[in-house]
Amino acid sequence: MRPILLKGHERPLTQLKYNKEGDLLFTTARDKVVNVYYSHNGERLGTYVGHQGALWDVEVDPTSTILITGAADNSIKLWEVRTGRCIHTWDFPTAVKVVKLNEDANMLLAVTEERMGNLGTLYVFPFVIDTSAKHAEEPIIKIVSPDSKFTKAGWSYLNKYIIAGHADGSVSQYDGKTGEFLKNVAVHDKEITDLQFAPDRTYFITASKDKTARILDTKNLKIMKTYVADAPLNTAAITPKKDYVILGGGQEARDVTTTGSRQGKFEARFYHKIFEDEIGRLKGHFGPLNHIAVHPDGTGFASGGEDGYVRLHHFDKSYFDFLYDVERIRPE
Amino acid sequence: EDLAEESQASKELIAQRVRLLEEWRAWRRAVVSELEAERGGVLPLELRDSEKEDEVIE
Repeated sequence: MRPILLKGHERPLTQLKYNKEGDLLFTTARDKVVNVYYSHNGERLGTYVGHQGALWDVEVDPTSTILITGAADNSIKLWEVRTGRCIHTWDFPTAVKVVKLNEDANMLLAVTEERMGNLGTLYVFPFVIDTSAKHAEEPIIKIVSPDSKFTKAGWSYLNKYIIAGHADGSVSQYDGKTGEFLKNVAVHDKEITDLQFAPDRTYFITASKDKTARILDTKNLKIMKTYVADAPLNTAAITPKKDYVILGGGQEARDVTTTGSRQGKFEARFYHKIFEDEIGRLKGHFGPLNHIAVHPDGTGFASGGEDGYVRLHHFDKSYFDFLYDVERIRPE
Repeated sequence: EDLAEESQASKELIAQRVRLLEEWRAWRRAVVSELEAERGGVLPLELRDSEKEDEVIE
């Protein structure tokens, strides 16, 4: 399982995104550019240049036509994937932390940062997969954050709900058509740092600074599983094909110096999704793991670190062969 | 005696794992069949097979 090291960024990685087929990997960092690589060999295809600040999130439509980025220059940009041309910009009062498409790619969700008298806000814009279309300037839904700001958000199956994670560790559910508030549940003791859905969007995993990750049922927000780690987590991903989850994080630089801890705990950790046990760790990064994305076919994953590197992994046979005895005895 | 205790503990662990596995699968079956009914045979763009789409055009 020797990884390919991608050195296309000069600052800490923030987000990684495979396209639907999994042949392309888009990466964003604090250095204002987006890179795109062939996922099988790590060869860089191109760069999207135009943002004036750190990039916080990246999304691509299921036909790999339009790329969407959210950045600290208070804007969302749409790019033509094939040419790198910027085709639209939406401006906001503060930084854009989250950009997420729904499963039909006809609605775009965005979360902006709380700063200087501006409350964090969740927006929904209509979206079309057409590089020459005129995009609507005004949102169809606008939700101002409650007391605890939004940190992450995403769409459920059938666009029924918008799910949002908060700085206080709670998770909210809103009506996906109207934006009406439905419920809020306490899930973590500290900030939610990542929220990734299963392929059918009926459940999702949250990662938190409280050193745990949890799986929740999208429909009723019931906590189904809990994974306990030994360091603050920045990211958690669900693997298709195998019943695993991959967690990443690590001691933050300022804590390492104050505690004198030599162990940064920067490994990617594999847990069994159903049994909640840790089953393996993968070393590599020299700083905290900021994001993990799993290949849509479950054949590999990519991790982005505070150290500025992306590590691109292809799973080997032992990964696919591993089974608990009870799984062997009772195949699905 | 120790061995007996150990084997008892491992039996309990296996029983617990069987229970977790069955609970998870039962939950997934229920969710998936409910979702299939709600989707009414129409898959969202991100779950559609690109090759099959081409066949439809033909």
